[in-house]
Amino acid sequence: MLNYAIRRVLAMIPTLFAISIIVFAIIRLPPGDYLTTAIAELEAQGEGADPQKIAFLRQAYGLDQPAWRQYLDWAGGLLHGDLGYSFAYNLPVGAIIGDRLGLTVLVSAATILFTWAVAFPIGVYTATHRHRIGDYLFNLLGLIGLAVPNFLAALILLYAANAWFGLSIGGLMDDRFVGQDWSLAKLGSVMAHLCVPVIVIGMAGTAGLARRLRANLLDELDKPAVAAARAKGLSPLTVLIKYPLRAALNPFIADLGMLLPQIVSGSAIISVVLSLPTTGPLLLDALRSQDTQLAGSLLMFLAFLTVIGTLLSDLALAVLDPRIRLTGGADR
Amino acid sequence: MIRRAACAAVLLLAAVARAEPPLQPAVEDGLPGRPGGTLRVLIASARETRLIPIFGYARLVAYRPDFTIVPDILLSIDVEADRVYTLHLRQGHKWSDGAPFTSEDFRYWWEDVALNPDLSPAGPPSELLRDGERPRVEILDEETVRYSWPGPMPGFLAMLAGPTPVVIYRPAHYLKPFHAKYADPERLAALVAAQHVRNWAVLHNRLDNPAAETNPDLPTLDPWVLKTRPPAERFEFERNPYYHRVDRAGVPLPYLDRIAALVADAKLIPAKTGAGEADLAARNLRFDNYTVLKAGEALHHYRVRLWQTAYGSQQALYPNLTCSDPAWRALFRDARFRRALSLGIDRHEINKALYFGLAVEGQNTMLPASPLYERGLRTDWAGYDPEAAGALLDAIGLRARSDDGIRLLPDGRRLQIVVEYAGQSGEESDLLELIRDSWRGIGVGLFAKPYQIAVLHNRLFAGETLMTIDRGLENGLATASMSPQALAPLRQEDWQWPRWGQYAETHGISGEAPDLAPARALLDLARGWTDAGSLEERASVWRRMLRIAADEVYTIGLVAGVPQPVVIADRLRNVPDQAVYNFDPGAYFGIYKPDRFWLAPD
Repeated sequence: MLNYAIRRVLAMIPTLFAISIIVFAIIRLPPGDYLTTAIAELEAQGEGADPQKIAFLRQAYGLDQPAWRQYLDWAGGLLHGDLGYSFAYNLPVGAIIGDRLGLTVLVSAATILFTWAVAFPIGVYTATHRHRIGDYLFNLLGLIGLAVPNFLAALILLYAANAWFGLSIGGLMDDRFVGQDWSLAKLGSVMAHLCVPVIVIGMAGTAGLARRLRANLLDELDKPAVAAARAKGLSPLTVLIKYPLRAALNPFIADLGMLLPQIVSGSAIISVVLSLPTTGPLLLDALRSQDTQLAGSLLMFLAFLTVIGTLLSDLALAVLDPRIRLTGGADR
Repeated sequence: MIRRAACAAVLLLAAVARAEPPLQPAVEDGLPGRPGGTLRVLIASARETRLIPIFGYARLVAYRPDFTIVPDILLSIDVEADRVYTLHLRQGHKWSDGAPFTSEDFRYWWEDVALNPDLSPAGPPSELLRDGERPRVEILDEETVRYSWPGPMPGFLAMLAGPTPVVIYRPAHYLKPFHAKYADPERLAALVAAQHVRNWAVLHNRLDNPAAETNPDLPTLDPWVLKTRPPAERFEFERNPYYHRVDRAGVPLPYLDRIAALVADAKLIPAKTGAGEADLAARNLRFDNYTVLKAGEALHHYRVRLWQTAYGSQQALYPNLTCSDPAWRALFRDARFRRALSLGIDRHEINKALYFGLAVEGQNTMLPASPLYERGLRTDWAGYDPEAAGALLDAIGLRARSDDGIRLLPDGRRLQIVVEYAGQSGEESDLLELIRDSWRGIGVGLFAKPYQIAVLHNRLFAGETLMTIDRGLENGLATASMSPQALAPLRQEDWQWPRWGQYAETHGISGEAPDLAPARALLDLARGWTDAGSLEERASVWRRMLRIAADEVYTIGLVAGVPQPVVIADRLRNVPDQAVYNFDPGAYFGIYKPDRFWLAPD
């Protein structure tokens, strides 16, 4: 087991190295660099940029260097824990991300809790009450949840929250609390504003999760083990929890790996629509404006979390499910 | 009565105690207001904090709403023959941190910033050079500075009065500790290392970025001073107690204590504004948001006003005279072809369909409010006349047509113009849709293709784009004392001739020399404007240039004067109902003196 863990950790190093090269190359694929994009944007607004200042900035940002040099500067910094410097914000990347990370984790954690809290009971209920009216009803709801484009749902809920409950549009708190210290009133405002994003982001996920749980459970419910347990006179609930539910949970543990990066990246499009102060819009904006180091460091951070997440879920599966073997062949 | 007077005196004393304008402050006419309050505005990204100094509009000299230039930060300015400018500062004027603002700040900028090879590798800003020659800068005494050139430099005042001006003074007392010439080398080295920058010059320029508003420590002369250190989602600007303007009663301006700028996604700004979440808004609001905004007026206690805009044309078509395809290039260079394209557009339909008929139809030129306006400039070659257009195209020799009625180029290709554009608002694609229909009537095909903006610019610079659609002339309200440069092939961002502009910008190193007589005439005239001895002469240069531009139809204007919705909270006073919303000149709200805006109590 320890051997396996060590090998998996060592394999992460070349993986991350390869990812860093791909990330850097892809960010630089579009023609031009951050400054050309910035100038084009300024000019589109009718505001020119001073060519001499631009020349100075190109040098200061190292954009006049060859690509491999820029890569080494950035990747070398990463090894020292220096995430680089954002051209657009004129600040170190660490300072920008750090500020938003907390709220991002809050939104994502709330969404995941919401998803599980809703999807689990529904999944179990619909599986055990197959082909009853409740099953059909939840199925319909689930299909609607999957099918409605969530940016549309976001806009509708946003309007409703403003028109009926007087919440300010977008953001995670009332405008007057932004940048203030935490207080009870601020916490309340954040909680009220959390509802819309959590429902919208969680909607599709909830529906999908409930349907998968239902399908997995249905496979397990007809197994002989369940029949045997029932024949032994165990209560239906105990039977359900002891046998089919345990087996049906396997795919969820495998999904844990994807959860970590999801917590950080959130769902970028919804966050943009809802104007949430999370890392999703930051990443999108950085990619659009070719803010190389900010975008690159954010993507590397996500890649790192994905790699860690898969490692953790693999280890968890190995511990929890005796059917999974760590190496090929029959050495046990 | 006595009580009220006493109250007023106390208020005044309180105001004076918290503020210290210069000994001879600038006295602001107009209705007085009441100090205090926080103005809420929305910005689309943290980068847009740079808009606050533009709104604040404190300049050495500044435009007034009638576009004349008057001293502002300066007490006065003496101009001799448009070439010797003597600047007089106000006695006792201070930076926002309380340090004196003197001629030393001008000297520091010129000698230690503009002429320093590390800070300004390319030398002083090119705007300040006259035919490549630097100005002579003299510091006469503590409050007097003189700029002089060997010949006339008529654009100097307009440069200082711009929304993003050529800043010729910097806070020397704050910046010297970061300058290699003055700082202790060891301490500076430590600072450079701590900030992870390449050298001291990068550090100096990063701290001293007056246009970007990212450094709350940087002293300023603006009415409001940044207080929030980025990164943030909400930026607070606090009033500058040493600001140089007072109202008629001697109460120091600005009235507003604070400006709170909240970052919100650009697409949400119209909705948030409509929900009453901003006290003053115009940027990121478009004309087609008008009805939505109007609907929330009563409920959310604001008023929506339509301000005039100053673009020569809201959007204009730019045939690329320097595109690389030889067949198209030859056609676009034929004035008859450009005129035919212009005559083939039904501007009235565009006006009715997209702008409720509120816009002015015609060429891309001056607006009626400009003293340089002549009716013919806008109407010539701009009526809808498909027959005349067809006749012109026939005369060029484009008689052959394909089965669907589209004419053929001499080499057999279809006369289908690909118009590339970068706008995200949908305005461009709506316009192109309408133009495509009316061009089909004269046998010209149109295919619209969107691009990401930086990509489009590169294609234009390289001559790959045949035609694009973009804003028209930046300033359709020009007067003779403003530079007519935008009409001549001088910038590569002029999409009708990017490679000619490149030639001028790089002094002939890249690009192509203009080879059409009218374009060369425009170049000569633009130079003539600089050398002209009087205002009448400049006006006549302007008129000749506008005439050439209108006859040659280098850009195909559509409609102009599309109003800009401006949302003003009911509590906010002193904001004009009728005004012009423009960047240069105008600084958006700047020329209407936002330091005079005030919030009435609820």
